[in-house]
Amino acid sequence: MFDMHHINLAIGPARFRVASCWREPLDQLENLYQYYPQITDEYVDFTVRLEPEKPWRRYLRPSVHISGDYWLPDAAPLPLDQGLLAAEMGMNLQMALGWRRHLLLHASSVEKDGRALLMTGLSGSGKSTLSALLAENGWRFMGDEFALLDPETGLVHSFPRLISLKNEAIAAMHKIVPEERFGPFIKNTPKGDIQHIQPPRDAVKKMAVTAKPAMLLFPRFGYESALRDMGKSEIFIRLTQASTNYVALGEPGFRSLTKFVDQVPVKAMDYPTGERALALIDELWDQLP
Amino acid sequence: MSQYYCAADPNGLIQHELDSMTLIFQKSSGITHMVADPVPAILEVMREDIVRPEDIVRRLTDQFDLQDEGDSEAIVLARLTELCALGLVEQV
Amino acid sequence: MRSNAQILVDALRQPQSTLALDGAGWADLISMARAESLAGSLAYRLVDIAVPEAVKPVLQDSMQSSELARQQALWEAESARRALSSLSCKILLMKGTAYVAANIDAGIGRSIGDLDIMVDRSRLPDAEEALLDAGWEWVKPDPYDDQYYREYMHELPPLIHRERDRMIDVHHTILPLTARPTPCPKAMLDDAQKLDSGLYVMGEADMVLHSVAHMLADGDMAGGLRNLWDIDRLVRQFSWNNAGFWKVLHERAQLHGLEPHLARALRLAARLYDLPTDKSFTGASQLTDYFYVRRLLARDGWGRESRKITRQFFYIRSHWLRMPPVMLARHLWTKWRKK
Repeated sequence: MFDMHHINLAIGPARFRVASCWREPLDQLENLYQYYPQITDEYVDFTVRLEPEKPWRRYLRPSVHISGDYWLPDAAPLPLDQGLLAAEMGMNLQMALGWRRHLLLHASSVEKDGRALLMTGLSGSGKSTLSALLAENGWRFMGDEFALLDPETGLVHSFPRLISLKNEAIAAMHKIVPEERFGPFIKNTPKGDIQHIQPPRDAVKKMAVTAKPAMLLFPRFGYESALRDMGKSEIFIRLTQASTNYVALGEPGFRSLTKFVDQVPVKAMDYPTGERALALIDELWDQLP
Repeated sequence: MSQYYCAADPNGLIQHELDSMTLIFQKSSGITHMVADPVPAILEVMREDIVRPEDIVRRLTDQFDLQDEGDSEAIVLARLTELCALGLVEQV
Repeated sequence: MRSNAQILVDALRQPQSTLALDGAGWADLISMARAESLAGSLAYRLVDIAVPEAVKPVLQDSMQSSELARQQALWEAESARRALSSLSCKILLMKGTAYVAANIDAGIGRSIGDLDIMVDRSRLPDAEEALLDAGWEWVKPDPYDDQYYREYMHELPPLIHRERDRMIDVHHTILPLTARPTPCPKAMLDDAQKLDSGLYVMGEADMVLHSVAHMLADGDMAGGLRNLWDIDRLVRQFSWNNAGFWKVLHERAQLHGLEPHLARALRLAARLYDLPTDKSFTGASQLTDYFYVRRLLARDGWGRESRKITRQFFYIRSHWLRMPPVMLARHLWTKWRKK
């Protein structure tokens, strides 16, 4: 049995103990999360484990099995050079399966003037990249994977993890974000090439500040600019599909999601480029009461 | 020979309308259902009684001014069967 | 790093022992509890303890999760009752679902997975048909496994509900037919107690013995600490103010051929959870108890299974328990050939 190294991370309202047989992924995490609040007392909400797929895979073609307090039975292992991705996926898994203090929506979120813009959609819709772009254009980054909705107050809580960029978005963001904020370039992952960026320091400093949800977008990248209304039933269904813990929250989940759908204006937004998206978003934001 | 049906306790349900559909959250199961007309009306007229499809049709006619074109009972029966599968109605 | 689950056992047995833990200790305890499916039970044990602020939300989450599990379990049971109502036979709830349906201590904070029910073997075909009719479907359509299940196992092949995505296991006895002790399902059904809902749970002694059989006669003791905690909670509640319970427990154990298993379970519960028992029932400690304890505590502070060799021994043993050696060889041969 190999002993494991570990680091502790505090991100938004959650604290993680990330344990790993290999030091490298933890060194990368420590570097990228260095501006986040330090945990000195070792109290955490979850433990993530990065372990060898089989004992001999500790050294030979090292293969990382992602596990932790919460786990999936058929999680595919990743090669060690994708260890940082494994750690981030491990944290996602703990949140998705174990977090119940907020309703989790699979959406990115940014804030301006105390109000939050949420963007949700399937992989490839561009919600992560858009949130990274907005974060460099006057908005405060709150998260790119999970939006946290407080069932009692209806407010959005910030959960600013590393922003995950895929394939073409990577080159695009290299043009606007300084090099030192990038993590390692990770090739050939199940989702293509991936590179992480640190959220802006300001976003990290303000991670305890909440925001009132003011708009929800369903973005779709690679189409002529267009804005469409959506029926509330469709929105509700899509959001329950986009939430990992809607059922687990029971009645409070139902009440908070129906309130959200009643009160927050929604648009489907098709966009051809990041710049056009920013322009569309500014227009919509200005039209809010 | 008609079967008798009984709806779930209305106090155990939370209903919420969303454009043309109605959401029903059932507290005992924790399940959220999305239903269309005439299901909310059927549940409403059933109240906490034990009724047959024909009783439901009569109540719908009285309360909602339903125009019965002869196939209402078949429609109600089809909805009741679905509702039983969902657990919102029970055959007694 | 802690290499065994002693602090978890201590915390359950004596909640105030957690006051000595620091942050790292709590992280270990929580990971162990989650890995052993004891997080909810632990949280309820700690309700009156002045735990550190940072720990409170974690425990709160565990309690709410177990509340959800309870609700879902009762709904599954109710759905099964409705589907099987035309059969007019006793439907016996088992394990976690039984504990919460009957509102007993063992159900407090308990994690619950699939629905386990037992019916008389003669009603199995009707039960199968009624469930398939009501929206359940087979999980695995493999003919060999299916035949194996029907002839030798103590349950139908697993069924899952199409809409709700929850499994149901329909048993006709509590241990595989090829296993060594052969408990008497008819006696369990005869002694069953009816709940308000019309569903049944086992009599008190049988409930304990089912848990004992499950822990010591049917597996490699994965989840053993939780299983043992169930036994501890059940025996404490049923023996409270009821001196006659021990006699009934002993008699039923004889009836089901589970005396040595019961004795071992009581010794282990006494050793780990301080269950008050009578030495005349449990017999003197055996050398082998030590290995059982090692197996039960095989969990480290990261939440990983530890003590590989001990676990392997119990895994082989569990196959041996379920099937006589000749059959085991044939079963493994067929399974190997299919690969």
